[in-house]
This record gives sequence, C-alpha cells and structure tokens, in this order.
Amino acid sequence: MSYKIPMGPYHPGLEEPYKLDMICEGETVKDAELHIGFNFRNIEHLAETRNFIQVNALMERVCGICSFIHTLTLCQAMEPLAGVEAPPRAKYIRVIMAELERLHSHVLWAGIAAKLMGFKTMFMTCFELREQVMDILAAISGNRVNYSMNRVGGVNRDIEDPAAILKMVEALEKAMVKTVIPIFTGSSTALSRCNGVGVLSREKAIEMAVVGPIARASGLPQDIRKAAPYAAYAEMEFDVQVQTSGDVTARLLVRALEIMESCKILRQALEKLPPGEIDTGDDRKIRFSTGTSVSRVEAPRGEVIYSVSFKENQKNPARVHVRTPTYATMPAIRYMVQGARLADTPLIQASIDPCYSCTDR
Amino acid sequence: MSHLASIPQKLGIDAQFEARHGAQWLNVEGVGVRTLAETMNAIGARFITITAYELPADEGFRLEYHWDLDGTLLGFAFQVVDKKIDSIFDLCPGVDWIEREIYEEYVIEFVGRPYDPLLLLPGVTPGVNLRKDPNQLEAATEVAK
Repeated sequence: MSYKIPMGPYHPGLEEPYKLDMICEGETVKDAELHIGFNFRNIEHLAETRNFIQVNALMERVCGICSFIHTLTLCQAMEPLAGVEAPPRAKYIRVIMAELERLHSHVLWAGIAAKLMGFKTMFMTCFELREQVMDILAAISGNRVNYSMNRVGGVNRDIEDPAAILKMVEALEKAMVKTVIPIFTGSSTALSRCNGVGVLSREKAIEMAVVGPIARASGLPQDIRKAAPYAAYAEMEFDVQVQTSGDVTARLLVRALEIMESCKILRQALEKLPPGEIDTGDDRKIRFSTGTSVSRVEAPRGEVIYSVSFKENQKNPARVHVRTPTYATMPAIRYMVQGARLADTPLIQASIDPCYSCTDR
Repeated sequence: MSHLASIPQKLGIDAQFEARHGAQWLNVEGVGVRTLAETMNAIGARFITITAYELPADEGFRLEYHWDLDGTLLGFAFQVVDKKIDSIFDLCPGVDWIEREIYEEYVIEFVGRPYDPLLLLPGVTPGVNLRKDPNQLEAATEVAK
C-alpha cells in the first residue's frame, strides 16, 4: 500500500520554500511531485518598471549566491543593444568575480552536503574555507552578497592588487587539495551515503534538458564557458569536468574538481590581467536601440539565459526574461528519487544544489 | 553540411539563419512548433527556454523558443493565434515548467498536454502575474512588434 510523505514547503535540510510530495511504498520512494512558487516575486515584471541601472540592482537580487552572474548575464545582453562592449580589463575582472563566486557556491554546497550526510566537522571546515572566498569577494567589491560589480559597458570596481588575491587563491587551493577533496572523494562516510544514490541517467538528463554540474555528472560535457565563451573565457585554459555515474557521488566529484578548475582559471586571469579602462564611460549617456538580445553564462549551478528587449531611446527594458539553472534541473529530482530510500531524499535533493530563490524569481 | 545549415532543409524552408544579438535566428513561418521540436530532437539540440512577448491587443502573442546546438544558441519565433499553440511537452519533457509558467502569466494554452495545478501561484487566476499598466504595455508591445 502506498502513502504520501510531504517534504516542505519548509525544507528540513535546505531551509527554503519548496515542496516535494513523495509517494512511498515502505521506505522506498515510488514517485514524487514537485511544487514551487512559494516565494514568487514576479521580478520579470518589476524589471519592466525600472530603468536599466535599477534593473541591474534588481536582477542582482534574483539569487543570493550567484548574484554576480545574474548582473553579468543581464549586462552582456544589454550591451549589444546599447552599442557598447566591456574593455578587456573589465572582461578579465568579470571572469575573476565569476570564478570566485563559483568557488564560494561550490564550497557552500559542499558544506551543506556534509551536514546532510551527518558529517558536521566537514561542514564547519567548508564554511571556514568559504569565509576565505567571501573575504576576497568583499576585498574586491566591498560587499559579501550583492557585489554591485557589473554595469553596462564594464565593471564598477577595479582589482588593484592581483598579487594579494592570488596569494589568497593559492592558500584556498592548498586547503582544498589537502582537506576537502580527499575527504569527499575518499572518505567512507561520504561515499557510503552517495554511491549509487539518486541516479540520473544520461538519457534522462538529455530528455529533461538539465544543465551545469548535474548534466556533467550524468556524462554530458556541456559548459557554456567552453562551448560559447563570453567575457575572457576564450583566453583561459581549463577542463570541463565530467563524470558518468549520474549519482550523488558524481555530482560531488564534478563540483570538487571544478573547484580546482576555478583556481586554475583564477590564477591565469590574475596573472594575465591586462591594463586599461574598466568601463566605457558615463552610463547615463547610454541609449538603447530597438530589439531583443540574448546572453548566456555558466553559473555555478549551470547555464543562465537572459532575454532582454528595449525600445529605441527607452531607459526601461520592455521585457526581461530569465531562465535560471535550477529551473532547468529541479524537475529532474522526480526521477532521481524514484526507487530511492526515503532517508536519502534530502541529500538527493540537495545534490542538485537547488536555488529556490532563482527558481521562483 | 553542418547541423546548423541542415536545419532549414529538414524543416522544408528556404530561409537561412541570421546572427543577431547573441543568437542565430531562423524565420520558421509556416512551420509548426512540433515539427521544429522533432527536428531539434533529431539533430540532438538541447531545449533551453521559451520567452513570451505580448503584442498589441489584436495581435496576440509571440513566443521565442531557444535551443542549444553544440554551443550555438538557436532562436525561433512563433505568432500565437487565439491564445493557443501546440504543446511540445511529449516531445521535449524539459518544457514542462516553462509552458505552465507562460500559461499562468499570459493564459496562452499549450494544446495537447495535461495541466497540473498552477506552478507559481496556486489559487490565483491565470493571467495576472504579468498584467501591465497601459504605459508599460505600450513599451513592451512596440518592441515585440
């Protein structure tokens, strides 16, 4: 006889509003229904009531983790319509900020995953490391969450001492290699909770059009930084990390290895940071042409796409549409939990690193 | 012939892709959205999203569908007549939430699919989420034209 177990809308593990109704037989989950929208803010409509500078501040608040990525994607979409292009130094700074944000996001996720595994020492270690990344972000931008770094035509703040940041990146990389990655990839506590759990097959990943680390953990080598380079990514050497088992371990490994790739990119960007301007001048003089422009960026959770429309000489966008990565990956949870033990479902859900704020917008 | 160049031929149209502001756009006038989705599946393109635009009152809506083909962003625009368009949910399950969201925001019905309870605001009348004041509507629709 089957019965339904509701999880949420106040998620016991992730403390954000989202609901998963699981149909169980005994301890086994047979199927699940997802419910979102508990924090719907109608940001796309709000964007139509604000000018392009205000929209930048608004869209930074779509997500509290990858706030930089949202303004980066938005600005990259607006720049062709404004007839401006960010200078080379600004493009490098965008890469540096984007990779620091990926580091902070992945380490945050690793901490939460450790907590859900019952591995609280690791949780504390990850959050201590995350603080180091947050310190770098705060040193560059002056802020810890909403960085206000991007503007149409460049960035707002320069990186004046790349060597100091490089030193911090190296310390972080050492800690990752020495502590985090070995524990996540070798500890029996971690592997016993993750191996073979929450599998998303390659075929299902293609069918559901999932993105980012979830797709890469299911054997799909898709990464916008490589496939359609933006900012200065075309000048960076890095590998797209792919695993094939499609389980929680694979998602964990992909993110752990991506932390190392981010450090690799950061080192290159900081060493090669070109001199020059960081913006194209007074953005109050910007005039938009009529049309629609689209931009994509590889956020920590996967591909973000912004579609932005302007009317000639209007300062308010006529339409802003954003498809966030969790919006693409979250429906796949249904298939990940099918056949899983009920006790594993919080970890399975957490393994996609869901962002409910992004999803609800 | 590259996948991109082969798409118009597979769809049976003469138009060619045009690069514009971040995407490769193809005029698919006369092609059904289901035919397009089948073609995208056949060439291994990945569905990304649908963006809805509200046109002046008597012209309905425009939906822009996006797929990714080996890193190239593809765009296809469809006019929506009588607030209805064929669903591609059975061909591409990844469209589930965005079709439901557009239904809730603009009351555009995606024909041929079951509808679950509302996705974003359960208990609220569909169509209210992106209701605009007249000034906003004018700005949005002129661009959409």
